[in-house]
Amino acid sequence: MSENAGKGGAVPRTIREGLFLGGLSQPESLKLAGTRCSSCGETSLGSVALCPNCGSAQVEVLKLGDQGTLWTFTVARHRPPGDYRGPEPFKPFGIGLVELAEGLRVMSTLDCPLEQLRVGMPLWFTPYLRYDKDGGAVVAFTYRSIEESAS
Amino acid sequence: MTDVVILGIGIHPFGRFDTSYQAMGAQAAGHALKDAGVDWQEIQFAYLSRMYLPATSGARILKTLGCTGIPIVDIEAACASGGAALRQAVLAIRSGEADLGLVLGAEKMPRGFMDPSMIYSPWQIEMGLSLNPAYWSMRARRHMYEYGTTEEQIAQVAYKNHKNSVHNPNSMYQKEFSLEEILNSPLVCDPIRRLEICAPNDGAAALVVASAARARQLGLSGKPITIAACAHTVARYSADLRCPIDSMSARTSNPGPTEEAARQAYAAAGFGAQDIDCFEVQDTDAFCEIEALESLGVCAPGDGGQLAMEGVTGITGSQPVNMSGGLISKGEPVGASHLGQVFELVTQLRGAAGPRQVAKPTSGLAHVLGAGGNCAVTILKA
Repeated sequence: MSENAGKGGAVPRTIREGLFLGGLSQPESLKLAGTRCSSCGETSLGSVALCPNCGSAQVEVLKLGDQGTLWTFTVARHRPPGDYRGPEPFKPFGIGLVELAEGLRVMSTLDCPLEQLRVGMPLWFTPYLRYDKDGGAVVAFTYRSIEESAS
Repeated sequence: MTDVVILGIGIHPFGRFDTSYQAMGAQAAGHALKDAGVDWQEIQFAYLSRMYLPATSGARILKTLGCTGIPIVDIEAACASGGAALRQAVLAIRSGEADLGLVLGAEKMPRGFMDPSMIYSPWQIEMGLSLNPAYWSMRARRHMYEYGTTEEQIAQVAYKNHKNSVHNPNSMYQKEFSLEEILNSPLVCDPIRRLEICAPNDGAAALVVASAARARQLGLSGKPITIAACAHTVARYSADLRCPIDSMSARTSNPGPTEEAARQAYAAAGFGAQDIDCFEVQDTDAFCEIEALESLGVCAPGDGGQLAMEGVTGITGSQPVNMSGGLISKGEPVGASHLGQVFELVTQLRGAAGPRQVAKPTSGLAHVLGAGGNCAVTILKA
């Protein structure tokens, strides 16, 4: 909590509870959280109390690796309905399932030139800060086609 | 086990209307009662299938026919709501507690994409992961990658269903489109195009159901249609790439919800896909029909793209599919869609479908699949 990344000096909020591991004040260092079940061996997304496959409470939270491969994708050609907070003005963007070595596929937006999208391409987990209209900072994530340096 | 039959069917056309949901629902219910030759005062229970209507919609619709004191219950299971409601009616009759009931589906929905807060979490909406067609399209993309399914094959399904709709007065769109028009229509979510997806809309459909014994007592002239099976399932872990999932396993291979519901339905009916004469299946997007037919066992996995191309699923084909025009043409008033499929199958089994009539069918299958992996399969027998 020593560093303040939000414009108002506050620690940013996470877009979803239990999704990240690490300090929210340093978004670039965050890892995606997973939950591994020691009963059935499944790894699910985020930090959860019960395995969504078998219901077991014998679970442990782990950091998921940054690199994945694209399993399937689409391009959203229209502005999503409701309280969408993507870039303005709206631009078509990629959505896909990114397969990770831990044995799960993560639904994500894709930060990649649309004409380059193809099944099997490598992608990297990229947390980022987004500012709401009221100035509040939010940590969200995407998968990017170019690996970022750690800084 | 008690046989459950359909005595009467009713519908309010699917489309966009100024009419209230109460009036649409009451019209469909009234038509079903009249078709059955049964008075509302004789009905012992009623279920309303709906997703986007407010609480107690069933009572608000049906009390306009007379406050008879019967239990009226609203049922919701996303796109499978109609199957879930029909299944409860079958179970109520099989329990012996009742032998004559009404199942009504009704919906009234705004134009455009469905309200995402109904099924998505706020973070999914903020990030733009709340487009239902995105999920349908990702399934199509993966199928193309694994099996070589083509955009032309997907468009052919839309072509067939739009063509069938021309003969269905209850369909929202009743217009044929050329393959070129379909393939040149704008992309909604790649590779799915505007003329390949269905629209949310308004409509209602109703069934009067009874035990076979009660049907015989009533001594009605027409031969009632038997509900050979009615199964409803919610997808097993990671078995379905359906909205609003945030992830899925890369390790498990549970059977999908359509496989599971079909397995249960075929076991109950005592016959399978190859013995069924006509189908109404979920075609919220044209690719969905291809996948549904594979999952229902009409063809092998990966072969679904060829069915419409080869004419197998046309009205005059060996296994006609979506004779009504499908949801692509009719639209999807979610609560009413499955009962609308059953309305079409009963019409076909009665030989009353006019220019879209399939040659002498004796059995039919209706399939719906939607949010959360909710799936229902109903099989009818003449």
